[in-house]
Amino acid sequence: MRPVPRPADRITVSMSVNGGPVERTVDSRRLLADFLREDLGLTGTHLGCEHGVCGACTLLVDGRPVRSCIMLAVQADGCEVTTVEGITPREGLNPIQQAFKDHHGLQCGFCTPGFLMTLTGAEPSEYPDDESIRELLAGNLCRCTGYEGIVEAVRAAWGRDEREGRRP
Amino acid sequence: MTARPSFIGAHTPRVEDDRLLTGGARFGADVSLPGMLEAAFYRSPLPHALIGGVDPSRTAELKGVAGVFTAEDMSDVSPFPDFDEHARPVEIFPLARGRVRYAGAPIAAVVAADRYEAEDAVDLLSVDLDPLPPVVSVEQALAPDAPRLYPDWPDNAVIEWPVSNPDAIAEFDRLEDGAFTVGGRYEIRRHTGAPIETRGVAAEFREGRLTVWTTTQFPHIARTMLSYCLPLDESDIRVVVPDVGGGFGVKAEFYVEEVTIPWLAMKLGRPVRWIEDRREHLIATCHARDLVLDLEAAVGPDGRFRAVRGMAIQDLGAAEMYPYGFSPTFTAVGHITGPYRIPHQSVGVLAAATNKTPNGAYRGFGIPEAAFGIERLMDKAADRLGLDRNEIRRRNLIGQEDIPYTTSAGAVVDSGSHRETFEETVRVAAERREHWRDRLAGDPRIRVGSGVVNYIEGVTPTYFMTTGHWTSFDSCSIRVNPDGTAVVSVGVSTSGQGLESMLTTLTAEALGVRRDQVRIVMGDTDRTPYGLGSWGSRSTNVASGALREAADALLGKAVRIAAHLLEASPEDIEVYDGSFEVRGSPGAAVTWRQVATAANIRTMDLPEGVKPGMEASASYDPPGIEHTPDEYGRVNAAATYTNASHAAVVSVDVGTGQVRVLEYIVAHDCGTVINPQIVRGQVVGGIAQGIGGALLEQLHYDEFGNPLSTSFLDYHLPTAAEIPPMAVLHFESPAPEMPWGAKGAGEAGIIGPAPAIAAGVEDALSEYGIAEITLTPITAPYLLGLLPSG
Ligand code: FES
Ligand code: FES
Repeated sequence: MRPVPRPADRITVSMSVNGGPVERTVDSRRLLADFLREDLGLTGTHLGCEHGVCGACTLLVDGRPVRSCIMLAVQADGCEVTTVEGITPREGLNPIQQAFKDHHGLQCGFCTPGFLMTLTGAEPSEYPDDESIRELLAGNLCRCTGYEGIVEAVRAAWGRDEREGRRP
Repeated sequence: MTARPSFIGAHTPRVEDDRLLTGGARFGADVSLPGMLEAAFYRSPLPHALIGGVDPSRTAELKGVAGVFTAEDMSDVSPFPDFDEHARPVEIFPLARGRVRYAGAPIAAVVAADRYEAEDAVDLLSVDLDPLPPVVSVEQALAPDAPRLYPDWPDNAVIEWPVSNPDAIAEFDRLEDGAFTVGGRYEIRRHTGAPIETRGVAAEFREGRLTVWTTTQFPHIARTMLSYCLPLDESDIRVVVPDVGGGFGVKAEFYVEEVTIPWLAMKLGRPVRWIEDRREHLIATCHARDLVLDLEAAVGPDGRFRAVRGMAIQDLGAAEMYPYGFSPTFTAVGHITGPYRIPHQSVGVLAAATNKTPNGAYRGFGIPEAAFGIERLMDKAADRLGLDRNEIRRRNLIGQEDIPYTTSAGAVVDSGSHRETFEETVRVAAERREHWRDRLAGDPRIRVGSGVVNYIEGVTPTYFMTTGHWTSFDSCSIRVNPDGTAVVSVGVSTSGQGLESMLTTLTAEALGVRRDQVRIVMGDTDRTPYGLGSWGSRSTNVASGALREAADALLGKAVRIAAHLLEASPEDIEVYDGSFEVRGSPGAAVTWRQVATAANIRTMDLPEGVKPGMEASASYDPPGIEHTPDEYGRVNAAATYTNASHAAVVSVDVGTGQVRVLEYIVAHDCGTVINPQIVRGQVVGGIAQGIGGALLEQLHYDEFGNPLSTSFLDYHLPTAAEIPPMAVLHFESPAPEMPWGAKGAGEAGIIGPAPAIAAGVEDALSEYGIAEITLTPITAPYLLGLLPSG
């Protein structure tokens, strides 16, 4: 059995970040979010609570949404990590990003990368209606929008009936 | 001169969005400087204590620690100046001096190589605290033998403003014609804005100049405050606001960390950064509300309100907050009669210091509290008379024939659609309530009800009653570069509402340039003219007032140049979409680029008498604002007043007491709508926060003054699953005195939900004879307690 690392032990990790290989030596206690933000300069991932509730730090590890504020960088060793920078096309916006823009799915934008990554990691067919979309989104907090524009953006991005669930 | 399509009211995409959607924005925590150190604070674990000493010796075992600092080290720093003449003086020091008055007060700052190590060092400090008995409620605070937070005060009252208006009191003495009184104590408990981005400050001191990056809503005020506290001239301080992840008022306070971090950077000669964590945020960033409105109304037999009297009693927390935490309570008193013709009021203010986090601003700023009080009283009076709850409002609402109407608080309502929004909301709410009753009829535990409420909101207010110092103006300067692009710098500052887009649109409108020719600069005191920042639903009004004046000056000049270049008369020039044309001569045109090139580069192309350059500045102070109240508290403290009616359709589970908002209806009037999507977003976002405050959010303390809501696990923000679909109905009553007729929309949404939901719940439970709902949040245990047992 390997010895349990202590917090300040330096450990070398290698992973793929947004498609490119990364190898760094980090403190074993370094959070994945801090590793990406501070060491790699990928500041699109935001920290709103640092205790796993708000979802602002959501990104994809091997295609699945995780909260990078409660995951260590060393736990991502050997994984594929995708952040908001990684889903952004070289020019313009991807369809989910564009839908957020079209439907006013953001105001301050601090929560937005987290929502985008939650949605990128979701399988639309598992969320057939507004209620299930809202359940999915309930893992991310937004304090600005009242979620209306976000729900509309999801509908648009997923090709749902625009008026579904909406009343005059 | 101008006859062209307008951008006002058109759907235009936000210019901020691309950077925010792609991870390209730069928030406070993204500011990183070469050689930067990071700070963490040792915060008091006790609500009330004397500080003995701080022993940093054990931090020596950590190699990255650059220093541990306490108040004693900061002798060259002045406390915040205190400008208020009515309240007891409070000295605010960047680090606690001698005594702590709330759990969370910063006692020591530790600077280290990074945040991990700084936090390690905080854990290694030994701090000697001598506990004092805590004061945890207004009742305790005002008891004769209460421990005092400020030993040189005779009691714990921070401000007492009794009001005794004889005209109001007379109405209570003369009830013989069948008039009666209703009263109640209406309580909005302690909650807070809780933006998803916490606060953060970074500072660098280089060649005698200090640069401070801070998540503030008012950079120029922050700079002025820094100059009052630090031994630096104001011109040697630059405050820069990065992208801000939501403010909602809590970032319109000037915080002690905004002095400490710059001071550390000066002291250490290295850049220093501090990023607040969420636990700190919930105990060290201002709290809000925690207000009891003890109200009584004299009501005629016809349901018409004749007068309101009472007291607004606030648990202010430790009072170490600037701008003052009691000012929302005065705003509550200023809005106590809402949009109703209630001729007289006599409502005083009492704010007491307790050992809790100091109160400050939160969106709505007293108006949600006022609406809860007066709307609950309206419902109560209607019930007493056996009158329909909508009917009593109909009898009291301001109508078009009353406008301009001066409320009993002195607010001059210059425009509005008070009855129109109400009738429309009543109509839609009745329909929707029936829809939901049908839809949920199968569930024996579910009851459905609705409530409709109204309010007015003073927008673009004076800051004098909040700060005792600043008043109400703002400014703008515009420079058109030789290529025809316009750089517009303003004293207001954004925290995510979409202000950049609003100002881009207004500049395009005012100058006749294309939207993509506009660049907005804000949030940088070196690059923008002085202004008071963004709060009080003011930014669009004040910035556009200044912008319009500056733009008009430039446009007048540009038209003369264009006319000269086109050999036409200035009266015949039209400008749109970046070019100047001669009316009636299609094809004869020059671009803004050609005009600006003439003004800035090829000055020999200028007509006689036109000076080179293409730059103008203006300031704007909204007309009609009064800065100080009379003896009865009457004051027209805002430039204009929005109005709205809200309805909540709610379900109540009579088994569990759980309330759900099924649907929310709002008819909203903020004057001319410049960008409908942004206005809708502001309204809907505000309603979501209001629903949170009405049902979920409370900052709890135990009986010893320990904060219990210190994470998002204990402080519940509403999620997408709790926020219902909303119907937003727009009304437009332009403000006669405001540029473009717009009224601020930033705060309105948050005002209605608490009283609308309370009324809806009572309606849903009417068959049970439920006791009156008098407080928020309306939690399940509270509600079950109101139901007759059995
Ligand atoms: S920052 Fe990770 S969940 Fe809030
Ligand atoms: S857009 Fe501000 S928190 Fe979501």
